[in-house]
Amino acid sequence: MDIGRGLVAIGAGLAVMTGMMTGIGQGIAASKAVEAVGRNPEAENKIRAMLILGDAIAETCAIYGLLIAFLLMFFFK
Amino acid sequence: MIHFLSVPVVGVQVEVFSVLLVSALIMMALLYVNAQIKKADPYKKPSGVVLLATIYVEFIWNLTKDNMGKKAAKQYAPYVGMLAMFMLISNLSGLFGLSQPTANYSVTLTLALITFFLIQYTVYRTNGLKQFFHRFFEPHPLFFIMNVFGVIAPLISLSLRLFGNITSGTIMMGLLYSFTGFISELIIPFIGKFDFLGVVIAPIFHAYFDVFAGLIQTYIFIMLTTILIGVELPKEE
Repeated sequence: MDIGRGLVAIGAGLAVMTGMMTGIGQGIAASKAVEAVGRNPEAENKIRAMLILGDAIAETCAIYGLLIAFLLMFFFK
Repeated sequence: MIHFLSVPVVGVQVEVFSVLLVSALIMMALLYVNAQIKKADPYKKPSGVVLLATIYVEFIWNLTKDNMGKKAAKQYAPYVGMLAMFMLISNLSGLFGLSQPTANYSVTLTLALITFFLIQYTVYRTNGLKQFFHRFFEPHPLFFIMNVFGVIAPLISLSLRLFGNITSGTIMMGLLYSFTGFISELIIPFIGKFDFLGVVIAPIFHAYFDVFAGLIQTYIFIMLTTILIGVELPKEE
């Protein structure tokens, strides 16, 4: 196990940290959705669809980080 | 059969087989549905395959119409429907042991390229050739490089979003299976690599990574396609 492999592992770990901000964003979105459902409960289905769509788009950023981490792990042997 | 398919042919990726398989499956399904629709009695309630096809067409038509308007939806709805069907079946094909076509970047890039060219064509047809090139120098000629990136960004984000989701799902499932194989070998040492824990644990993860992510990414792709084309269309009075 040379030092380069360890550095690649550190880089992969740092790349996955993109998920941090995505988590915060999704939490904000979920809290707003809860507020919206509390304000008018009859729109729950529409709000749920919008929440899932928005979450999945926000998640893209974290997925990019995960992808970079996988690429680092598998291609810098 | 599976073993034969997984033998690497020189210069051919594994996903090529599943792309061909999925395309053939869609073509056969379309031929069958077409025959069933022609046979069906239009004065009776639709049932079976015809009902399924009706629901699907209506869903696509409503989604396209909401984002594009009625006139443009007539032109673009067939493309959106075909895109949705191809991506749906390729994302779910991981459940049947195929290597998903959308886990190959060539496939998702091709799908995103078609959408990208459709967007550019719509811009050209709405605004004319002069505006098409003029928008690169919009506030000031210095903004040229930024505008180029802004135009190309949808292509990269659309293709990488689908590819990243499906690929990371595939890799996660691979890691999970190797992990459960390792654990089950520890529990019963003589069993070899027989993965009895994976059978118990994996279905939940398959439901999330394959079914949920596949469906939601398909929906997002067609949603973004219709929205991105829709904002470039001329305003309807």
